Amino acid sequence: MQQTTEITEATYKERIGKLQQAMKEFGLEAIVIESGAAMTYLTGVRWGRSERTFAVVLPAKGGPAWVLPGFEEMRARELIHVGENDIRVWQEDDSPYQRIVEALKDRGVTSGRIGIDESTRFFIFDGIRKLAPKIEYAGAQAALKAAGVDLTQGVGRGRGGR
Amino acid sequence: MNRRTFVVSAAAALVGRAAAQQAAAPLPEAIRNLKPMLDGIKPIADDERHARMEKARALMVENKLSAILCEGGTSLYYYTGSRHNGGMWMLPAKGDPVWFVPEGREAGTRLGEVRSYGEAEGPYKKVVQALKGAGRLGIEERARFAVFDGLRKEAPAMEFASADAVTIGCRAIKSPAELALMQRANDITIAAYQAALACLREGMTNRDLSGLISAAYRALGTQGAAMANFGKYSAFPHGSIQPQPLREGDIVLIDDGCTVEGYQSDITRTTVFGKPNKRQTEIWNLERKAQDAALAAAKPGATCESVDAAARKTIVDYGFGPGYKVPGLPHRTGHGIGLDGHEWTYLVKGNKTKLRPGMCFSDEPMIAIYGEFGIRLEDCFYVTEDGAKTFTKQSPAIDRPFG
Repeated sequence: MQQTTEITEATYKERIGKLQQAMKEFGLEAIVIESGAAMTYLTGVRWGRSERTFAVVLPAKGGPAWVLPGFEEMRARELIHVGENDIRVWQEDDSPYQRIVEALKDRGVTSGRIGIDESTRFFIFDGIRKLAPKIEYAGAQAALKAAGVDLTQGVGRGRGGR
Repeated sequence: MNRRTFVVSAAAALVGRAAAQQAAAPLPEAIRNLKPMLDGIKPIADDERHARMEKARALMVENKLSAILCEGGTSLYYYTGSRHNGGMWMLPAKGDPVWFVPEGREAGTRLGEVRSYGEAEGPYKKVVQALKGAGRLGIEERARFAVFDGLRKEAPAMEFASADAVTIGCRAIKSPAELALMQRANDITIAAYQAALACLREGMTNRDLSGLISAAYRALGTQGAAMANFGKYSAFPHGSIQPQPLREGDIVLIDDGCTVEGYQSDITRTTVFGKPNKRQTEIWNLERKAQDAALAAAKPGATCESVDAAARKTIVDYGFGPGYKVPGLPHRTGHGIGLDGHEWTYLVKGNKTKLRPGMCFSDEPMIAIYGEFGIRLEDCFYVTEDGAKTFTKQSPAIDRPFG
């Protein structure tokens, strides 16, 4: 599955920067995004959804943090060009939600509001909120829209397996 | 593993090209000779679906849920037999199911009540009204965050929890009717693989082989696809998008399955094009031993993690690993399977769920040696009172993929 080659790394950084501005406007400390249209638009990473959580944490301040399955790390590294210095893998018997909460904490987010992309599946949100009940979870759509995030590309499918 | 959605959608262009090439060149005889294998299948009957709903209601009471809500997908199909999307379906602990559908659209089934909503108002107010604004609602795992967010805004007093205890509680145990459909999906996949592996030739690409397997499924009367990887690319659990022309002595790995009445198969076969060498044979035999160890451990009452541990031990004792380290087994030993190619529950460390008769799993403790090759044998099994029973005959030897 090829990434769009015409879009450069600088463009993705600019898009994320714009979203960070929007987060401030909408009072969000961070936005959590699982694979799908928003991830593709913001980072260029198109990854099929499966039962294994593959997510990027975009804080209002600081760089992105990736949370992905351990055995997919090599394949994921080929695709990730924004935030590649903070890739956090979870092994099969680890909790991906724990990794997400740790990433938030490392960016200074332990309370306040974070945004969840509305297409995120309930089990991922449910896993995060159980580990971080002090955080307030809000829909991220207004901020995504304000930042001009194109959500029409659909979810990359499959490739989840094993 | 299960990558068919990827093959179908994301690589549609590639598959399309392969299909176009095949249109130009006639299909090999082995594929042309295949005949549909769907005779005599028995779709799930309404009575069975009613029993599923009754079980769900009992599980709701047990888990203190007032209702469960599905947005679409396989759980909805499981209970209703409908692939309806664009609305929602609720099953209360007491009373009939309720469909929430946009105005002007029909419900997925005739059973239960239908409440339509205008596009502007959205469905959430109606859902909350149906529950009288109180109680604890279980949300199906794959519903979008938007559903939860919309509901809680309408009903701050309600509690929203996962519906997993109900949906998994029902779906994880397969009935004889479900096992029969899965058996047929497995039989069809073996027939497709046998035909496709008979067509291996020097220089063909992994995509050619995938295309042949898809063509075989069409000839067999169903839909399916497969990932194929040759040589060193077989080491990557999800293969590679690099073009791979087949060479003498290459490992050939094919994986995935098809669908019968929504029920999935998932099978992997690994063999060699030409004569296997000593190393390939030794690792293949180790893989088979690991697969056998998992099957032997999969007795009713055993924990899911103990099945993973049994397979992993075989591989670690050889000197690979430990844990998920490669060379070795980089992932869990298997997944549940049914209406989803991967579903609860998983054969993975930390999962203390006990095996019960009727549960279905894949058994695929692959051995990955990056830079060299990978061997994966995958057969699915169901748990019986006497232990694991595979849907398919395991591969007997590296040069004999089919038993």
